Amino acid sequence: MNQFFAALVLIVAGGFLSLVCARQQTFSKGIAVLLISAGCLWGLVYAMTQLLGAHNHFTTFQYLNIFALTCKIDGLSAFFLVVIFMVCLLAAIYSFHYMGHSLSPVKDAANYFFFGLLIASMALVVTAANMITFMLSWEIMSLSSFFLVIYNYHLPENRRAGYLYFVFSHVGAMFIFAGFGIIYKYTGNFGFGAMTALPETAKVWAFFLFFVGFGSKAGMFPFHVWLPHAHPAAPSHISAVMSGVMIKTGIYGILRIYMLLDLPAPVFGYFVVAAGVVSGILGVVYALGQTDIKRLLAYSSVENIGIILIGMGMGMVGVSSHNPLMAVLGFSGAVFHVLNHAMFKSLLFMGAGMVLHKTGTRSIDALGGLLKSMKITGMAFIIGSLAICGLPPFNGFAGEFFIYMGSFKGIGLDQAPFAMSIVAIVSLAVIGGLALACFTRVVGIVFQGEPRTKAAQNVKETGSTMLFSMGMLAAGCIIIGIFPRFFFTMCLTAVSALNLGYARIPVTPFELMTGHITFAAFVFLLVVLVVAGVRSFFYRNKPVFRSGTWGCGFTQPTVKMQYTGSSYAFDIIGFFRPAAPLTEYHPPVTGRFPQKTHYKSHVADIAERHMDSAVVRPVLYLFDKLRWIQHGDIHLYIGYILLAIILLLFFI
Amino acid sequence: MILDTVDTLSSLVLLSVLFAFGSSRIPALIKVIAFQGVVVSIVPFFIGHDMGTGGMVFTAATLVIRGILIPLSLHIAIKKVAIQRDVSPVIGYHASIFCGLALIVAATVISRRLNIPSISDAQLLFPTAISLLVTGMFLLMARRNAIAMVIGYIMLENGIYLMGTTFSVRALHIVEFGILLDVLAGVMIMAIILQNIKQTFDDVDTTLLRTLKE
Repeated sequence: MNQFFAALVLIVAGGFLSLVCARQQTFSKGIAVLLISAGCLWGLVYAMTQLLGAHNHFTTFQYLNIFALTCKIDGLSAFFLVVIFMVCLLAAIYSFHYMGHSLSPVKDAANYFFFGLLIASMALVVTAANMITFMLSWEIMSLSSFFLVIYNYHLPENRRAGYLYFVFSHVGAMFIFAGFGIIYKYTGNFGFGAMTALPETAKVWAFFLFFVGFGSKAGMFPFHVWLPHAHPAAPSHISAVMSGVMIKTGIYGILRIYMLLDLPAPVFGYFVVAAGVVSGILGVVYALGQTDIKRLLAYSSVENIGIILIGMGMGMVGVSSHNPLMAVLGFSGAVFHVLNHAMFKSLLFMGAGMVLHKTGTRSIDALGGLLKSMKITGMAFIIGSLAICGLPPFNGFAGEFFIYMGSFKGIGLDQAPFAMSIVAIVSLAVIGGLALACFTRVVGIVFQGEPRTKAAQNVKETGSTMLFSMGMLAAGCIIIGIFPRFFFTMCLTAVSALNLGYARIPVTPFELMTGHITFAAFVFLLVVLVVAGVRSFFYRNKPVFRSGTWGCGFTQPTVKMQYTGSSYAFDIIGFFRPAAPLTEYHPPVTGRFPQKTHYKSHVADIAERHMDSAVVRPVLYLFDKLRWIQHGDIHLYIGYILLAIILLLFFI
Repeated sequence: MILDTVDTLSSLVLLSVLFAFGSSRIPALIKVIAFQGVVVSIVPFFIGHDMGTGGMVFTAATLVIRGILIPLSLHIAIKKVAIQRDVSPVIGYHASIFCGLALIVAATVISRRLNIPSISDAQLLFPTAISLLVTGMFLLMARRNAIAMVIGYIMLENGIYLMGTTFSVRALHIVEFGILLDVLAGVMIMAIILQNIKQTFDDVDTTLLRTLKE
C-alpha cells in the first residue's frame, strides 16, 4: 500500500512542481510529464501485481481516528487502477507535444497540476473503503476535472460547458450523498461493511439514488447532457482521460454499491438493462448526427456506457435467476468492456486531438483526405474505430462477445429474464450496426476522400510522443483482440471480488471461449494475408493509376462532389426522428441558373431539450421567488448565521 | 458565596460589555475592547491551572495581541479611513443596553441548562463566556459602522476564549493561538477592506454594501 501512495504522491508532486516552476515553460512541462508518467507506471505495476497475486490481496490503510480515511485494494479496485494508470500514463506522455507553448505559462502549469490531482483522486475513489474517503476523493475528482474542462476559459462556450459540468457533477454528488445518508441512518457508521443488513425498502431507495448519482458521472442517458459539452472543451488528452477513465468511476460506483448492498431482487437487473439499452441506442444515434468530431466521440461514450450497463444488468439478472455462468459472463464482459473502451476511446480522442492540433478545426465536414498526410494517426484512428464497432479481431469484439454470451445464457430462462436477454441481444446488435455506420462516417469523411477546406490541406503529423501514445494504444487494441485470455483472467479476478457467492468461478469454459476468439482472429488474419497475396499476384504486371478520390470520371471534379457527414447519416437519423429531432435550414434551389445556397442541419438531443423546460425553468422560478433572502444587508446575513447556530444548538 | 478573583474579572468583563453597548464613539469603543481583551487574557492566571513556561508565554502573547496589537491596528485604521467617528447604531444606545442586560440574563439561564463541567469554581465564568458570544453577535448586527462590527467580532472571539478556559489546559493554548492568529489576520484584512469600502463609497457604512447585490 505504501507503494501505491508513493506513486500518488509522485503524480501530485509532478503537477505541483510544474506549477512552481511555471516560468521555464519547457522544463515545467517536462518535469510534470516525467513525474506523472513515472508515478502512473509505478502505480500500474503495483496494481498489476495486486491483481495477478495468487491470493486476493486486501490491504487496508488508515489515517486519522474520528473521521478515518481508509483505503483498501481488492480485485475490483486493482482492475480499475490498472485501467486508470494505463490510460493516464499514455495521456501524460501524449500531452508533452500536444500542449504547445501557450501565451500564459501558468495556465499550462495549472492544467498539469489539476491533471495530477485528477489522476490521484480517481485512484483514491476506486480504493476508498469508507464513505468519507469516497466522497472526499469524489469531490476532488469532480473539481479538478472541472478546472481541466475550463482550460480555455477565455471562450464563453467553454465556460458554459464548465458550468454545465459543474452543476451536473454536483447534483450527482448530492444524490450519492443522499444514498450514503440513508445507509448511515441504519448502520450508524461510515464504513462500507454491514450494508447488507439494511431493510429492503431502504436498499431500494439507496440503490436508485446511487444509480442516478453514479449514472450522471458515467454519462447514462438522461444525465449525459454534460458530456458532449465538456469533452470538446477540454484539451484532447484530458478528454481522453475523462471519457476513457473518469466516467468509468461511475460504473465502478454502481458495481461497488451493488456488491455492498447485496440485491437479489431481479427488478434491479431489468432496470439496469433498460437504462443501458436506452443509453446505448440513443447515444449512438446522437453520435451519428454530430458534426463536431469530439462531440461525436462524447456521444459514443454514452453508447459504450450503455453497453457496459447492459453487461452489468445481464450479470444482475444472472445472479437473481441463479445462473452463475450468465452472471459471471455479464459482469466480466462489462468489466472487460470498461478496459477496452478506456483503450479505444482514449485512442480515438488522441487521434481527434492530433487532427485538431494540426488542422485547427473539429468540424468533420471541413476535413478530408487526412489519411494521405497523417498515416500513423489515420491507421491508429481506423484501428480504434474498428475496435469501438466491436469488429474482430480487435478488443471491442472480445468484450462485447462475452456480454453476448451472457445474454444468450439467459435465453434458457423463463418469462422476464428471457425477455430481458432477448432485448439485450437485439439492442446490442442494433448498437453495433449503428456504431459501424457512425464510425465509417467519421473515418470516411475525415480521413478519406479529398480535403474539403484549406484547413485539411498540407498538414503534417509531428510530435513523437503523441504518435507513441496512439501507437501503444492501437497495439493494445490488437493484442487484447487476438489474445484475450490473459486480460479476461484479470476481469474474472475483478468479478470474483464482487462476492457473488460462487466459491470458485470455473475457468475452463471461459478459456474455451477465449481460445475460440484467438483462433478466429488468426483465421481472419490468414484470410486477409491470402487476399492481399492474391491481389498483388494478379496486379503484378499491370500499371496502377492514382487519381483523386470520388473522381468518378468527371472532367472537372471538385471537392464538393463528395459525400458529407450529414448526407451520409441522413437516412438513419431520419428513422430515429422522434428521439433525435432534426432541424434543417436551407433556402430552396430555384430557377435554371440557381444562386448560391447553403445547407445547415442540427440534431437536437431530447434530454437536453426537455431538461430546459422540465428542470431548469421550474428550478429557476423557485429560486427567483427566494431571491429576497439575498437581501444585500450584511446585518441580516449575520442574523441568518445566528439563527442557524441557535437552531443547531437547541434542536439537534 | 466567596467572591474570588475570576468572578471579579468576569463581572468586569460584563460591565465592559454594557459599556460597549452604550458608547457612541469609535475611539471609546476601541478602548473598551482593549480593556476587555486585557481582562479576558489574564483570566487563565487565576483560574487554577498549573501553567508551565509554555503556557505563560502563550498567555502573555495572547495578552499582547488582544490588549495592544488589535486595538492599535484598529486605531490606525480609523486614523486612516474614517472621518465619521459615530458607530451609527441600528438599535439605539438605551435599547442596546437594555438588550445587553436581557442577553446576559438569557446567557446565564442557558449556561445553567447546558450544564458543562467546568474546572474552575468560579460561578460567573461560564455565563460570561456565553454572554460575550451572544453580545458580540448582537453588536455585529446592531451597528452599521464597519469598525464597530469588527469590534463585535473580536468580542465574540473573546467569548470563545473564555469558554475555552473553562475546559482544559493542554489543548487550549494551541487551539486558541490558532484562532487568535486568525482574528489578527481578519482584522488586518478588514482594515484593507475598510479602505476599499471607504474609497468606493466615501463612507464606512456597511448598508452601502447593499448596492453590490446582484
